[in-house]
Amino acid sequence: MDVSQYLEIFIDETSEHIQNLSDCIMNLEQEPDNKDTINEIFRAAHSLKGMAGTMGFKRMQHLTHDMENVFSEVRNDQIKVNSAMIDVLFQCLDAIEGYLDTIKSTSDEGTEENEAIIKSLNDILASAGKGDAAPAPKKEETPAEEKKEEAKSSNYEEKFLNGEFTDSDKAAFKEQEDAGLKIYGMTVYIEQSCLLKSARAFLVFKALEELGTIIYYNPSSQDVEDEKFDFDFSLLVATNSSLDDCIKAAKGVLEIETAVGREVKAEELSNEGAEESAPAEIKEEAKALPEATKAPANNKQSSGGNGKQAVTSRTVRVDIEKLDTLMNQVSELIIAKNSLVSISSADGSGAQSQSFTEQIEYLERITTLLHESVMKARMVPIESVVNKFPRMIRDLSKTLDKKMELVMTGEDTELDRTVVDQIGDPLQHLLRNSADHGLEANDVRVKRGKPEVGKIFLNAYQEGNNVVIEVGDDGNGIDTASVKQKAIERGLVTADQAETLSQKEIIDFLFMPGFSMAKKVSDISGRGVGLDVVKSNIEALGGDVEVKSTLGEGSKFIVRLPLTLAIIQALMVEIEDEKYAIALGSIQNIEDIPVADVKYVQAKEVVTLRGSVIPLIRLDKVLDVERKDPEAEAKKTSLTVVIVRKGDNYAGLVVDRLMGQQEIVIKSLGKYINNNKMISGATILGDGEVALILDANTLI
Amino acid sequence: MAEKLLMTEADAKQYIVVKIGAEQYGIDISFIDNIVRMQKITRVPKAQGYFNGIINLRGEVVPVMSLRVRMGLEPDEFNNDTRIIILKFEEHGTLGVIVDQVKEVVTLLPNEIDPYIPDTRDDKSQFIKGIGKQSNQLISLLELNSIIEEKEAI
Repeated sequence: MDVSQYLEIFIDETSEHIQNLSDCIMNLEQEPDNKDTINEIFRAAHSLKGMAGTMGFKRMQHLTHDMENVFSEVRNDQIKVNSAMIDVLFQCLDAIEGYLDTIKSTSDEGTEENEAIIKSLNDILASAGKGDAAPAPKKEETPAEEKKEEAKSSNYEEKFLNGEFTDSDKAAFKEQEDAGLKIYGMTVYIEQSCLLKSARAFLVFKALEELGTIIYYNPSSQDVEDEKFDFDFSLLVATNSSLDDCIKAAKGVLEIETAVGREVKAEELSNEGAEESAPAEIKEEAKALPEATKAPANNKQSSGGNGKQAVTSRTVRVDIEKLDTLMNQVSELIIAKNSLVSISSADGSGAQSQSFTEQIEYLERITTLLHESVMKARMVPIESVVNKFPRMIRDLSKTLDKKMELVMTGEDTELDRTVVDQIGDPLQHLLRNSADHGLEANDVRVKRGKPEVGKIFLNAYQEGNNVVIEVGDDGNGIDTASVKQKAIERGLVTADQAETLSQKEIIDFLFMPGFSMAKKVSDISGRGVGLDVVKSNIEALGGDVEVKSTLGEGSKFIVRLPLTLAIIQALMVEIEDEKYAIALGSIQNIEDIPVADVKYVQAKEVVTLRGSVIPLIRLDKVLDVERKDPEAEAKKTSLTVVIVRKGDNYAGLVVDRLMGQQEIVIKSLGKYINNNKMISGATILGDGEVALILDANTLI
Repeated sequence: MAEKLLMTEADAKQYIVVKIGAEQYGIDISFIDNIVRMQKITRVPKAQGYFNGIINLRGEVVPVMSLRVRMGLEPDEFNNDTRIIILKFEEHGTLGVIVDQVKEVVTLLPNEIDPYIPDTRDDKSQFIKGIGKQSNQLISLLELNSIIEEKEAI
């Protein structure tokens, strides 16, 4: 059977189940007797097994089957949950994830049997002294199921006239009938064991579409797609083919139990929908009634069975590539809009252009809103990344033999999808760092009068145009004295220089490549790769990292990330005839400063503004701009200075001219050009010219 | 003749012949995405010397390199014949190279190409992978990979 078309669904759903299982097992460790959790786990494991089976992944099925057996015993109170068992279960999850990764990359589960894990699972079963008890209840279950199926099979009813028909349905019906096509009503039953019901239903629709046109679905095709139906669905099809052909086509799809149908006339449905009981239809109506009462009962059963699915989902899954395409098109639109704006401002005279300008402004508003909407569509909660951390901390707690707990807030904070995908590793580094370096050993904590269990926290929240993620601990904090010592040892500074360093400058040493404070190298840390990678990863995303630490009380890493990546508001400036964009977010204010006010500190130009000393950066020098008329430049009496800010630091960028604010689309310079970090990208202006985007953060 | 045609289909490669300085160079046509006229190039500060900057190619930002400077010749003087050849590499993306003139497309059979042994003492020679001979003219075939990959060394 060709299942490749379901592979994506399978991968998505399996990842969800794995995450769900992981969460539940964590819960289970906390409250081993929570029946709801156990049931939830059992269901998830069962679904995983079924899905793996359907897709033909035998090894994965085997593993999940054994896992399910263990859960089934736990559910029946035959086995008590203990720590060793939780460990084995987590190993199982890792193994399943391994399978999933292999499937993702090769569409095959690979050859790893994971016998060791299967053996431990069976050991758990055996140790409970109920080694053979597991298959027993299974056997009981199966006949019961079969019986149910049998009972059902004698009762295949035609349900296609049960639904409500709108006027447009009727009109469509009439149209097809007038066209000389026959209309058949069909009810298709799917096997109860089927897991991808919507996929099967879809295949039936497809098969029937080949024969004719489906003019009516019950439940609606949308509901069918969302699996909001039991094991049968009905439809009306208009076709030239015979009824037998249609039924055969439907039955031809795998896992379809049967299909029933007959020819339908237009009058039948008009009466059904309006609930008028015309004499000829009494029988039909009577038949429909018990059916109708039965249907809700069925519904209740299924919603009781898998509580979570009953919640109506108002979301759709969209391939990220489609969103990327949409985003690119919006970017193109903004570029096109910008060129219209520049044309309109170029010849903005006369009454005719009045309305033109108005329309341009309208267009501007719409594109900005459109951009915002697309950005919002690309936003996903950071949950998908951070919800694997509790598990990681649990494992770390075991390996490091320190008691610790992770408290997370703001998991629903949303970020651009691309950022979320890349933020996982840096955050993981920071958490490991807290667990390993931050927290003291348990006995030390007790001696210092702190709670024995160390606390690690991860807080996420939105702040203006940024998302802030704080990772920290209530451990020892950064010992600046020993960092200083280490820096001197490594020859990064002399002892004299070290004396004058601020706390912040000392902490910055930690972000240098190869700088590690760990006394011994372990799996977790100490190799000196870590904080520097964290920093460069976050900077690559356009964010920054800040550290706050108090010795003895703990430390906090503050990661600040931009909400959006692709389109920003920027101030356009000109130096000689070159145009540069500076992100509006980093600009504090703009000043005209008389040349006479420029002072020198350590041979560097500074200005004093409202009490603070701000270094001046001559952009023309930094960017090697060729001056056409150096003399005129030297005679200038005042400077246009853009004050930019990074954290608590300020700098004044000297530019020639300001060109105004603009929405710009960030484009990469590509991999060929070795640009230094000052240029973070390029953008295309309204007139087609390319301008470079200055990264103010690297200039400070 | 018929035989020759058959061979052409199987093994021949097409090259675009361009002029850089006095010499003729061939660029494998399968890497060429587009050929555009000279346009305004935005300078990128601190970039490698042989990069003229970036251009806007129908909404995409494309870096542009001077083949002359890359090969140690005098900097380009732009005129009506100057063209930017847009190359497309699967891994690295698009890149434009400036040439003095685009002449023609030639089809070279394997037996019309002489291997070229690079002179290790001469940096420039690594850019050539072979010499094509056709109707009394010699065409140096460019090794595009070394043109783009050598960027780290400089």
